[in-house]
Amino acid sequence: MKITYPHMGSLNIILKTMFNGIGVEVIDPPPTTNKTLTLGVKNSPEFACLPYKINLGNFIEALEKGADTIIMLGGIGPCRFGYYGQVQKEALIDLGYNFNMIIIDPPHGRLTAFLRELAEYFPQVEVKTAIKSFIFSIKKMIAADKLEKVLLRYRPYEINEGITTKIYEKTIKKLENATTNKEVNTIVSNGIEEIKNNVNTKSKKTIKIALVGEIYMLLEPFTNMNICKTLNELGAEVTKTDYLSDYLINSAFKLPQKIEFKKNAKGYLERDIGGHGLNTVANTVKYAKLGYDGVIHILPFTCTPEIVAQEIIIKVGKDYNIPVMTLIYDENTGSAGYQTRLEAFIDLIERKRMNVS
Amino acid sequence: MVKTVGIPKALLYYNFYPMWKTFFEGVGANVIVSQETNKKIVDDGIKSCVDSACLPVKTYLGHVIDLIEKKVDYIFIPRVVSVEPKKYLCSKFLGLPDFVKSSIDNLQNIIDAEINLYNGEKAFKKEAIKIGNIFTYDNKKILQSYYNALNIQKEFEDIMKRGYTATEAFKILETKKINDKVFTNYDIKIGLLGHSYDIMDNYISMGIVDRLKNMGVKIYTIEMLSEDQIYYGISKLSKDMFWKYERDILGAGLFFLENNYVDGVISVAAFGCGPDSLTEDYLERMYKRKKTIPFMQLTIDEHTGEAGILTRIEAFIDLLKYKKRKVVI
Repeated sequence: MKITYPHMGSLNIILKTMFNGIGVEVIDPPPTTNKTLTLGVKNSPEFACLPYKINLGNFIEALEKGADTIIMLGGIGPCRFGYYGQVQKEALIDLGYNFNMIIIDPPHGRLTAFLRELAEYFPQVEVKTAIKSFIFSIKKMIAADKLEKVLLRYRPYEINEGITTKIYEKTIKKLENATTNKEVNTIVSNGIEEIKNNVNTKSKKTIKIALVGEIYMLLEPFTNMNICKTLNELGAEVTKTDYLSDYLINSAFKLPQKIEFKKNAKGYLERDIGGHGLNTVANTVKYAKLGYDGVIHILPFTCTPEIVAQEIIIKVGKDYNIPVMTLIYDENTGSAGYQTRLEAFIDLIERKRMNVS
Repeated sequence: MVKTVGIPKALLYYNFYPMWKTFFEGVGANVIVSQETNKKIVDDGIKSCVDSACLPVKTYLGHVIDLIEKKVDYIFIPRVVSVEPKKYLCSKFLGLPDFVKSSIDNLQNIIDAEINLYNGEKAFKKEAIKIGNIFTYDNKKILQSYYNALNIQKEFEDIMKRGYTATEAFKILETKKINDKVFTNYDIKIGLLGHSYDIMDNYISMGIVDRLKNMGVKIYTIEMLSEDQIYYGISKLSKDMFWKYERDILGAGLFFLENNYVDGVISVAAFGCGPDSLTEDYLERMYKRKKTIPFMQLTIDEHTGEAGILTRIEAFIDLLKYKKRKVVI
């Protein structure tokens, strides 16, 4: 069995670690490129969202590379992600591929049930090893996310252009090959220290931007055209509101995050509407209250929960007097339009500050 | 003084109007419905919300504005989460009152009750009493209206199952006259898949139902099929669909494909519709594989040019007639 999976942020590191840990061969889908996108778009319904199209592109490329089993998550709605797998499977069958697709439906998003179901597909694997390698992979993910948070906070102040990005990439590579907990900890703390040694935080005024929106768009630099880097280069600190580790941990242990979201979104959106709609509204309110300078909302074209949120956060922006901008991404790859809008947004924030003071 | 409740003639109006009307009148309110969708309504809607929202939602906003202009006391904008156990509706329904409140300033007195049957009927009944209490404190009267409303809804759905569209069924419920003769004269049968709010709204669907009828076509919408027929289609799926109406569309589509119940199938969806993008793709693949029944997709948006849609419908019907040797070329 040669397993493959879709790309989603640092998910591939984790899945690779986990499956290698239990002795299952993994075929990593090639990194998402324009070719992936083209393949996906060609075989997807026009109004499917960008994550669907890129996932499908990942599958096609991985199957070409020799994978024979696809692992995909399912769901019970109301986000359409829950039915991706079923439709993608038919598309791949029509393309003539011979493969096996494992679609795991997490009942109400509980991670334990997910693991139990997953284990059924690998009867030869011992539960203890599986859990051990799973926990280790989660640790890696938390470490990788921690590093990214530091990067997004300090990159605007780097001494030499591009140095922090280089340190980050180098550290992530090391992290990928790490095999023990101790190693992971040292690599990350060294990386963080190195980043901090190469910045001068007094060099500029701080501009703080919160990035909210659909999780796949937040996690995938290819699909969001590396928005975090662009913003950092424009001199803004970025707080990404969703990380894979936060997301998985929250759905695994049912932390009171949802309650916090509901509390924050009260008066604007009264219930979970599927996808990350509630998160978007709640986070916009949260960071507006924290005194951030601006909120940028990103979503894939036709994402219904985010469209509802998009309308609502315009009102939040008015009420809290904070600039809010929505960027919608589709399969067009021209980045100049996004660059210009981000520049204008930062200009606006600087101008707003001048008026106030 | 009798209070008036405005019901927007959009979205789930075509699925639940008789029920809502009966309930509100039962608790002592006057029901006012917004006017038929027209250019002004759609334009008002487009102007008041983000452009990425789908046409049905924009139209809904237009209807709400129409009701505000009519100066009704309350506007009924329910948060319909689920109308059937373990089945959701599209996200836009889950956040509809919040969406409307954000789009239209100073919106007062809206009744934004949550209709949620995901975990059974109990919560629904409670919510009904809460709505009723706006108009009367007589809980007995409210419960009476609640049950009346459910009965009317059942009657309404039964009429549609006999082959009437929602609009025709409204009329039948009002006049209590059923005219079965209308079904005798047709050449071909077509499955018309899509949400009731896309198909039944004559303005946004460019009158597709009437156009087809005038061409001598008998149509079958998802509301006209029995539960068993839908389940038959659903049983062909590897995983049940978690949205109610999309489930019905998929089920009906697969039922038509397996049974030669109709001569052709037209699927209507709004531009950028999230749920329909998946169901349509799935159905199209199945129809292409089997190659027995012609299948056509129509996308509707806020453009008002009818010619494109009309030409495609005509061409499709000609094709079906040709296939049945009713037309000789």
